[in-house]
Amino acid sequence: MSENFEPNVVAFLCNWCSYAGADLAGTSRIEYPSNLNVIRVMCSGRVNPMFVVNALQQGADGVLVSGCHPGDCHYMEGNFLARRRVALMRELLNFVGVDERRFNMSWVSASEGAKWRDVVKGVVDNLHEVGAFTEFPRKKIDW
Amino acid sequence: MPDFDKLRALAKETISRDDIKYLIGWRQGTYGYRTSPHFVRIPEDADQLIFSPLCSSNLATYLALAEKRPVPRGSQPDTRKVAILVKGCDSRAVVQQLVEQGIKREAVYVIGCPCEGVVDLRKLEEKYPHTLDRVGARWENGNVSLDLPSGNAVFPREEIVAGKCLTCRYPNPVIADVTLGENVEVSGSTAFEDINRFEVKSAQERWTFWRDKFNSCIRCYACRNVCPMCYCAECILDKQNPAWIQRSVNISENTAFQLARAFHLAGRCIECGECERVCPVEIPLSYLNRKLVKEVTEQFAFTPGVDPEAKPLLVGYRPNDKGDFIL
Amino acid sequence: MKLNKDKLADFLAAIPGKTIFGPQLCGETLKFTAITKAGDLCLTANNTNVPPKSVVFPQTETMLRFEQWATDIKTAEPAGEIVLFGIKPCDARAMLIVDNVFSWGVEDPYYLTRRTNSTLVGLACLDPCVNCFCTSMGGGPTSTDGLDLLLTDLGNSYLLEVLTGKGEVLCQAAGKLLCEASGADKDAAKLLQEKAAVQIRRQIDPSGVQARLPALWESPVWEKISASCLGCGICTYLCPTCHCFDMQDETEGVESRRCRTWDSCMFSEYTLHASGHNPRPTRRERTRNRINHKFSYFVDKFKVIACVGCGRCINHCPVNIDILDILSKVGEDVL
Repeated sequence: MSENFEPNVVAFLCNWCSYAGADLAGTSRIEYPSNLNVIRVMCSGRVNPMFVVNALQQGADGVLVSGCHPGDCHYMEGNFLARRRVALMRELLNFVGVDERRFNMSWVSASEGAKWRDVVKGVVDNLHEVGAFTEFPRKKIDW
Repeated sequence: MPDFDKLRALAKETISRDDIKYLIGWRQGTYGYRTSPHFVRIPEDADQLIFSPLCSSNLATYLALAEKRPVPRGSQPDTRKVAILVKGCDSRAVVQQLVEQGIKREAVYVIGCPCEGVVDLRKLEEKYPHTLDRVGARWENGNVSLDLPSGNAVFPREEIVAGKCLTCRYPNPVIADVTLGENVEVSGSTAFEDINRFEVKSAQERWTFWRDKFNSCIRCYACRNVCPMCYCAECILDKQNPAWIQRSVNISENTAFQLARAFHLAGRCIECGECERVCPVEIPLSYLNRKLVKEVTEQFAFTPGVDPEAKPLLVGYRPNDKGDFIL
Repeated sequence: MKLNKDKLADFLAAIPGKTIFGPQLCGETLKFTAITKAGDLCLTANNTNVPPKSVVFPQTETMLRFEQWATDIKTAEPAGEIVLFGIKPCDARAMLIVDNVFSWGVEDPYYLTRRTNSTLVGLACLDPCVNCFCTSMGGGPTSTDGLDLLLTDLGNSYLLEVLTGKGEVLCQAAGKLLCEASGADKDAAKLLQEKAAVQIRRQIDPSGVQARLPALWESPVWEKISASCLGCGICTYLCPTCHCFDMQDETEGVESRRCRTWDSCMFSEYTLHASGHNPRPTRRERTRNRINHKFSYFVDKFKVIACVGCGRCINHCPVNIDILDILSKVGEDVL
């Protein structure tokens, strides 16, 4: 992998916890890698696994889905539902040969600015190792 | 030819009932080993019905595929039941459709056919290519006996049945209003040796394997249409706005399509293997499905299409679901 | 003329400046792909799963590219010279039939350029499939319609029959690789070809079909035929004469492309109007259209049946919908 490869990460953050957590990291001047493209969703349960496939197709090297801690979901059970879907989609992607480190999930609450930094750092460091996504991005197939 | 009198008599009796709209079964195909779904609307149609190891079609597909024409003004909609012949795996599709409320229990009349397995036509084609004359088949003491133009031939089960039948855990219908014949012995196991063997390969090897397979996909959507669980009125594959999967056929869109198809069957696939059977470019689709079946079994101890009272896998959760991947 | 099989690689190498497409086994699928060495060719098998129309009429073809805010449009480079090596006579005949459509009224530059630039080297079909019925549709296992060069497998060598100037060019390029065929070779080839024609066991007389179809428009026969239809695209995508396509603009960031892809009249979206109305709402109408198109509309317009009898739709239909069965039902249906 080239020295200056910077992974492109799409992050789906739940409105109530993780987005606020990322916000807190910002207002607290906690520095974290700037590879993220954040998409705010109302709940991690809103994240259709096809979003992930689509993000990879459109040029993401990795995806992060982040929601509230178990029991803290604003909608009671959205993050639990998301967990099952993510678990299965990760296995499926892994099975066809896409490194599972490209698809991450985390629980980050509104007060965990420091944890947010650690999560993002971990994801980005992993992706530096895994490298650019070359399996099935949309690109010019012919001319 | 095997004796189908009992089947046909039952079908005639069923179709003569006032509350049955039509009956779906199998008939001998137009050539060789092929069989075809058969719709019985009048008692005479029942004379063509058969049930043999060549009847691989999963008829539960037709429950959801039935097209509803607008009811003419002034007349009442036809609310009679649809009678359907089901093998073990087909019956699981019926149950799963009931679980998902795709169909109503009172709208179907299920005739169960315990099944010792169906023949993999590809294996047969290899042994006896270019067979035009119609071939009959039956089970004989655990072996498949075929009436070929060249004479009778007997094959041991392991040699000739489809892969799904070798691992089948539900050869007997799990739901039936009436059962035809005796229940058969369950021999399949929950081992996923084939999947495990594939999983230990490197990511690079796995992707190369699937890339080649997905590259041959022509997106005829036969795998989706034949699937008894793919009955959404509006499918993600057909949507133009947003176009989740673009129409152009290339490795990116094909992979997205295959992932979408497989994932939408997570916790729903009843392993009838129809997708793999119909694929004109021979993509091993049941491999993808079985991977998810394995995960669903191991992570969530869930088996779809067995209990009509169950809740679908992905609309529920347990607080202690596996979550070791969460950062 | 005759070509020894051990010289096949040299023969292909001698073809100047043309991309050679031939039947190749990709996994378990036989289809026409660009070949780099003679060893990749799979000439012994029956019909390819995917017909060679995929070469001259690709499943996805980018016609032009454009960018957001930019005013210039990049169009596709014209296709280069190609050779379709080992094409079956039925598939070659199908191309002649499809030519009618793409030059009807508006000339389609994408398709026609490829066709003009293509040389068709046929391989006589000496071992027809179980569901071949080419002889009923005006062709035959050794028909030369649309071919530039016909090869007949004589065991150790191929007998070459030059049919057009394009075929002559290939033979001249091969030069000394070819040797003169003896009378015995020609007799042997003739014998093999006659034997192949007899092997076509499925037959039908399509002459009355066109006349009967209009009257059968509302016949219950369509309901019966289509009852088991799944509505997938196998029969049309694998048909060498089906030529319907759809055009879409696809976006990748700020870049967009206009491409055309195969489409199938068996899909409900095919006829779906923007209003939501669908003139062919069910599989009954779609099946009826497929048969009518091949055996009635196309004959009206171009005086030829849009079916070459390759048998692919019968071989691959998951539910055994058999076009010969349909034709015989159409023939016998009493009004």
